[in-house]
Order: sequence, then structure tokens, then C-alpha cells
Amino acid sequence: MATQENNDDRIALLQGTLDLLILKSLVLGPVHGQGIARSIQRESEDVFFVDHGSLYVALQRLEDKKWIRAKWGVSENNRKARFYALTPKGREQLVEKTGEWRRLTRAMSLILDSGNGPQGEEA
Amino acid sequence: MSIFRRKRSAEDFAAEIQSHLDLEADDLKDEGLSEDEARWKARREFGNVRAAQERFYIRGRWVWMERLLRDVRFGLRSLRQSPGFTTAAVLTVALGVGANTAVFSVMNAVLLKSLPVADPDRVVYLRTSNPPHGTGTIDSHETFSYSVYDALRQHSQGLAPLIAYAPLSNSKVAVRYGAQPEEAEGDMVSGAFFSGLGVNLPHGRGFNEQDEANHSPIAVISYNYWTRRFARDPDVLGKTLYVNGVGMTIVGVAAAGFEGVEAGGSTDFWIPLQSRPELNAWGNAPEDGKTYITNSTWWCLRLIGRLAPGVTRAQAIGQLQSTFQSAAYMGLGSPTAGEKAPVLSFADAKNFPGYEEQYGNPLRILMAMVGLVLMIALANVVMLLMARNATRQREFSVRQALGAGRGELLRQLLTESLMLVTAGGTLAWGFAMIAAKLLGSWAQIESSLAPDKTVMLFTMGVLVFAGLLFGLAPMRVALAGRAELALKTSAAASNADAGKSRAARAIVALQIALCVVLLVGGGLLIRTLRNLQNTPLGMRLDGLVVFGVKPNTASVPEGVVFYQNLMNKLRVLPGVESVTVMEERIGTGWSNNGDMRVDGRLPVVANGASRWVRSNVVGPEFFSTLGVPILSGRDFADSDTASSPHVGIINEQFAKRFLPGVNPLGHSIGTEDGRYTMRIVGVVKDHKYRSIDEEPIPMAWYMYVQIPVIGEMHVEMRVHGEPLAILPSAQKVVQQLDPNLPLIKPMTQRAQYDQTISGQILFARLAGFFGFLAIVLVATGLYGTLSYRVNMRTAEIGLRMAMGARRGQVVWMILKGSLVLTAAGVVMGIPLAMLVGRALTSSLYGVAPLDAASYLIAVSGVAVVALAASAVPARRAASVDPLTALRTE
Repeated sequence: MATQENNDDRIALLQGTLDLLILKSLVLGPVHGQGIARSIQRESEDVFFVDHGSLYVALQRLEDKKWIRAKWGVSENNRKARFYALTPKGREQLVEKTGEWRRLTRAMSLILDSGNGPQGEEA
Repeated sequence: MSIFRRKRSAEDFAAEIQSHLDLEADDLKDEGLSEDEARWKARREFGNVRAAQERFYIRGRWVWMERLLRDVRFGLRSLRQSPGFTTAAVLTVALGVGANTAVFSVMNAVLLKSLPVADPDRVVYLRTSNPPHGTGTIDSHETFSYSVYDALRQHSQGLAPLIAYAPLSNSKVAVRYGAQPEEAEGDMVSGAFFSGLGVNLPHGRGFNEQDEANHSPIAVISYNYWTRRFARDPDVLGKTLYVNGVGMTIVGVAAAGFEGVEAGGSTDFWIPLQSRPELNAWGNAPEDGKTYITNSTWWCLRLIGRLAPGVTRAQAIGQLQSTFQSAAYMGLGSPTAGEKAPVLSFADAKNFPGYEEQYGNPLRILMAMVGLVLMIALANVVMLLMARNATRQREFSVRQALGAGRGELLRQLLTESLMLVTAGGTLAWGFAMIAAKLLGSWAQIESSLAPDKTVMLFTMGVLVFAGLLFGLAPMRVALAGRAELALKTSAAASNADAGKSRAARAIVALQIALCVVLLVGGGLLIRTLRNLQNTPLGMRLDGLVVFGVKPNTASVPEGVVFYQNLMNKLRVLPGVESVTVMEERIGTGWSNNGDMRVDGRLPVVANGASRWVRSNVVGPEFFSTLGVPILSGRDFADSDTASSPHVGIINEQFAKRFLPGVNPLGHSIGTEDGRYTMRIVGVVKDHKYRSIDEEPIPMAWYMYVQIPVIGEMHVEMRVHGEPLAILPSAQKVVQQLDPNLPLIKPMTQRAQYDQTISGQILFARLAGFFGFLAIVLVATGLYGTLSYRVNMRTAEIGLRMAMGARRGQVVWMILKGSLVLTAAGVVMGIPLAMLVGRALTSSLYGVAPLDAASYLIAVSGVAVVALAASAVPARRAASVDPLTALRTE
């Protein structure tokens, strides 16, 4: 997941994915950056490790697009933190991107699971 | 995203990272790590804090730059992938925009640009509603007498200063620097000329009131002339330039770029207003020994004024009006009964006087034509882009599915169009520079037509418009495919909708309509040109050569001797058939005009017809030299002398209008003031005097030895063989008589007449060229669209053929489509063309605005081109192999 390679196409792909994950982790309410990183890691059962530098750049980008908004607040353990929340536009995007992602993964798995792949040979 | 919109500071971002590290450390501590371990691990997990901050900083400041670079790189790559499309689009933009820039820069220089002086808004031309009766004028609205200038100057507080100027010749004037006589353009001007106009003199000085009062023999040369003739020699100051044999000391060089105030001319030098007879205004011989200064009935000076600070135009006019109206009658006595008093007015010093009338209409029509060409060109590129982007729909869909926003796609499309437009625009600018230069030389405009800041802005405006159009118009097609489209696998299925684009069909029909308009306009003008070139002039032009001479003679008898000597010497040159002289050179657009007495009184003409007669003062054997048939009586001869009875010759029109039903021979004609009376000795056939396109008008000729006007005359020679070959020996003859004299504007008489239609020739050639350009663009556009549509329908065609459709039916199906488009375009185009034809009426000669042939040619031309452009795609469609076509599914 974490890559710093400056390859246009792959960044586009990763950005799309990371954006979707960020939007998803904000569904239940405002969360700060560190909380988002933790929740992605936890929810993916530690498969995804979020590069924190990329995370903050992505947060900034989503804020610029007005998909999320940010406000300084205080965490449960009384630390100052910048909290992010979904905007209505962000919520729409989340629904749309989730749909697209579902269709893409379904198509991918249809192809990968079809009978003439490596699995067939294995059998 | 831009640097101007960034709201967050780097400090704020650093605080957020710090808070992240603290929160992470807290969590790790909760998970059982020690304080130090937790801090260290939090920091390690975050990675490089400084790098993150840097990325934030770059994001904020430079992200737009980075994105732009990325978009440009991407755009270059995608344009390189389709070199055919890129070349076609860039060339189309270059042609369309280049033609517009070229025509606009001419229009700007000729009609819109202000005089090249300081603060031109405060500078005005003086105009009069009409000159008083009994005056001679250069232009009945734009020129004034010296006495009017003198009176206005003394009473003008509103104009500070008032400036008068007049050229030293209506063509070029004889100058000499060193030994070789040559010709140059020169004006004499009042003392306030340079200071009043605000023209700088980087070398030497200008003129002052003292120079004008003393008629000082000094000259200022133009920067151009200084460069061309003197190779920018700084030592030229103090040297002597002989003007018509009079020595003038060069005292200054005018600022670069200042070409004077003569319309279309590039003035080479200026001298203060002079009083010597050999330096009379317009190079005219003094009338009864009176120059422009003493002859108060000759209105020959142009006047320019600069409004004094704080004075409005109305105030300045109000203050000058009564002075003007009394000064106008100086030397004339009181106004005749019922005469309308002349009224003074001001005109913007926006462009050169006379240019609006001469070039205004044709230039505006040309501008409209190139505007249409531009529309066709832009529509072509839009269609190319739409076709290209429709085939890229799947690319766009994939990118959208991968998270690219619509904004990003739009940016990408805009960047690509911007790159096309930049490349096209650069080419267009180069193209326009060359074209403007060519236009200038064809139109015989010597002043610079080079594109300036206004032209630059105009071109930029057109390009920005094109860029937005190219970026936005195809957007609809590009975004029509939603993300799901990416996952469809059938090429035919996913491209089918775009293939039937209604917009593309509408654009093609519109292009055909515009093309019809351009072709009709071009056709009308080309037929006009044909008519002009085939107009009989009423004389034999072949073998005629003409040049001007301006002898330095002090008296009329001296002048007569000079010309008699000259003609005698020229007649004996080998190859010369006959020689004559004339005061007004024929075929220049100039003529002497006025009323004439017939049998002692001004003729009464029926139902308000004009009494206007064009006259000329000519030498012996004038008509036999020109080859104009003499209907009755005789030509002028050497035996007509100053002391013999005064004789005149008239043309058919004169006889018909003023001496109807009688034999005109023996009747008398005379000048309006009754001072000269001549007996008619000959009647000649009507022929052209000023220009090819003039209508027959009464004309009369005087014998030059019997009229006391002798100055610059033009020598007409009929020779065997190549006419211009005689010029070197003619030059030798002239220099034997006076080494100071150059041949002024030597050329064949045919070339001289052709100059009178040079404007029409240029106009017609350009219109024809733009019509041609339009039809090429329409053909390529139609071909592109149709072959694209055929490609898109390959599967459908294959299916039809598999179901039993015959080749002929398929070809017809494709051809029918373009025939319908052509018909729609023609139906739209014809009424538009009729409007254009009406606007052109004043520029047409011998052809009606509703000329059927022009319309027929235009319509059939469009139809042939449309069919030819569709034939190739149709044949391709018919040769589709049903099996292959279906297998592409």
C-alpha cells in the first residue's frame, strides 16, 4: 500500500483507493488524522498500512475538493487535534465511489475466478 | 488549489503532525510501551516528518505547477499518439487565425490606429462642409487655403497649435544628395509640426515658428529614409539635400516609426512651408505666378490641430467658426446669392484621411469573410476533437472509475486544447506577419502594417476563445460515458451513440452554408475583376510608356521651350513612334474637373444632369500617340502655338450633352471664369481618363502652349518593342537638358491603369483565396466526419450486408447522408449569400449582386466537394467484409 514512487498511473490508482478509505472511516462522525490511520489499519485487519505522510496530503486534497471539512478540537484524552468530518458532497462521493469499486472488484473476481486461470491448472 | 486560495499555514500543518505524534504515543503507551519507546515508535511509524511537511508545503505552493506539467506531459503524449489529428488541427487553427490576424492588422493600421503622435485623442483634423464657390480644391472637405490657415492660426486659442501641411508633389518629388538625381516623398509643414504632434527627434532638431516665417531652407528626414538612403550616418546633419534643385540643410532625424501624416505614404523628409515657386504645394505650377501662399482661392493645405488643455471640441469650434467663415471668402468677394456658407468641423485623427472611403467597406467585408473562414476552421477542429474524444470515451471512463474527477478530466481536455491552440497560434502569427507584408505591397500602402499591440490582443482573444471552445465542446461527448462503460467490452456497442452525433451533422451543414456564402462572394468579386480587366479603355495601351518631369523653369515661355526641346529630342530616339505630354497623367485616378462655358455661357442641362467636365492640358499628337480615334476634325499639332488661335478638343459625351444635334467643330468652349476661350477643332471617341472603372463623362482638352500653366508634366511615348527599354536613353535626354532631373515614376501606361484597379484586384484575389480555403476546410471536415461515422458503423454495415444488402445500397446510404447535409447547408447558405451580395454591391462592376452564374458555381462547387469527400468513406463502407465486421464484436 505504501509507496513513494512517483509514477503517474499508480498514484492515481492509490489516490482513488486511499480517498475512498478515508471517506469510509468518517462515516460515523468526525475523526482526527491519527484516528483515521488507526481505523484503516484496524478495519483491514492490519493488511493496509497507511503511510502517514500520504494520509495528510490526501486529507488536504479532500479538504480542497470540499469533500471533507476540518476543525481543531480536543481528543478523548485531552489532546488538541484536527478533526475531519464528511461534507454532504463527500457523502455523495462515498456512495458513488463505493459503487464503482464494487463493480470493478466484481469484474476482477469474475475474470480471476473463471476456469482457465492458474487455479484450473492447480486442480 | 492555487497559491491564492491556500488557507492553511505550514505552522498549522506542523501542529497537526505534532498532535498526531502525541496521540499515537498515547495509544502506544496504553498498549504497554514506556514513554520513550512510545514516542520513538510513533515517530518511526509516521516516517519522515520533515518530508511530510515538505510535501504539504509543495502541495500548497506548487501543486498547480506540478499538475500543469503533468497535464502537459500527458497531453503531449496523447497528441503524439495521433500525429494526423494533431497536424490537421494545428494547421487548421494556423490558417484560420492567421488569415484573421493578417486582415485585422491591415484594418487596424488603415482604419483604427490613431496617428502615430503623442496623446492622439486630443488631436483633430479640420474639415469643412464645403468650399466656397469659385475655389479650387484638392479635396472638397479636407483641404483649406493658406489665408484660412493664417486667419485661424491668429485667432485660435482653442487649438494649440494649429498645424498645416501639404505634400511637395502628388507622387514623388525630385531630390538630389550628391550627384545622382532621385525621387522621394516630401511634405512641407508648419513650424509647430513636430512639437505640436509630439514627435521626438533623437538626432538634431525640428522646426519652429521662426523657420516657418523665414521659409528656412532646412529639412528633417525620417528614420526610415535615414536608414535606407544614408545608412544611419550620424554625419548627415548639416549636409545638403536638393529638393527640386533647392538646397535644404538637413537639421534633424525624426523618431523611428514616425512615417508622417500622409495617408498610406511613408514620408521621407519634411521642410518648413516654403514660398518659392519651384516648391509650390502638391508640385503644381504657380497659377498666374501665385503660389499656395498668395493664391487664396486654392484650397490645398490639410490642417491638424491639438486641442488646448481644458478646451472641448465644441468650445474650440465655436470660437473658430466665425473667423473661418469670413476667412473663407478672402480674395473671393462676398458669397454669391443663395450660397451655403462653409461650416468648420473636427474629425478624429483616428486614421488617415480618405482611407475610410477607399478601403473601409472592402476591408470590413474581407474581415467578415475571414471571420467565416475562422468559424469553419474552428468547427472543423471541434468535430475532429469530438470524433477523437468519442473514441477515447473508454479511456475517460476508466480514468473516472479510477478516481479521476470530472474537474481533472476537464483540465486534461483544456490542457490538450491549449497546446493545440498554442502551436496553431504561433504558426498563425508567423503566417500573419508575412501575409500582412504581402497585403501592404499589393495594396501599395507604404506605411508599416506590421501587427502591433492591438492586433496581438485581438489574436490572443481569438486563440483563448478557440482554446475554451476546443476544451469545452468535446467535454459533453467525453463525459457522456459513465464509469460503467469502461467495463463494457464491445467496441461497437460503447461507441454507437457517439457515431450518430447530431451536433456533428449540424456543424457540417452550417459549414456548408458558410462555404456557399464565401464562394458566392468570391465568385462575384472575381467576375468583377474579369470585367474590369477586359474593359476596353478606348486606346491602344501596348507600346505606351510614361514618366514625369519637373523642370526648374521660372517662366511659362521657358517651360514651353523646355518641353518642345524634350519632345524633339525624344522623337528622334531609335524605336520611338511618337511623343506627347500631358499635365495630368492618365490612369492615376486624378483629373482636373470643373464647369466649362460653351459658346460663351455656362450650358443649361436638362433635368439636373451634371455640368461637370474633366479636362486635361496636353501636347501635340496627343490622341494619335494614345491611339484614340478622332471622329471628326483634327489632333493638336506643333503648328498650334501660343500666338495662333486657341484650340480645344472634346469627346463624344461633351458633344452629346452640351452641343446636341449640331456639328461641334467651330463652336467655342472656355474656362468657367471666362479667361480662356478655345475653338473646338476636334471630337474624339470616348475613352478612359482617370481609371478603368469610370463611366463615360464629358471631357475637354487644352493645348499646353496656349495655357499659362507649366510645371510638372508627364511624357507619353509610343515605342516599338518593349516599352520600358526606352527609359535609359530617355533619362539621358532629360539629363542633357538638366542634370538635376530624375524621371518621376516611369512605367508602362498599362501598369499605370492597372494601378487604378489594384484595390479590386487585391480584393478579388483575397476573396477567391478565402473561398478556396473555405472549400478545402469543408472538404476535409466532411471527409473526416463521414469516414469517422463509417468506421463507427462498420459492424452495423456488416450486419446489413450479411442480411443481404447490396453494395450499391450501402454506398447510397452513406452518400444520401451527405447529400441531405449538403442540401440543408445550401438552403441555409443562399439567403445569407444574398445578404452578402447586397453588401458587396458597391464593390461590383458589370455583375449583378444576384448573378445566377456565381450562385450556380458556388452551389455546384459545394455539392461536388461534398460528394467527393463522401465517396471515399462510402467505397470503404461498401467493401466491408460482413464476416470481419461482425467478428469485431
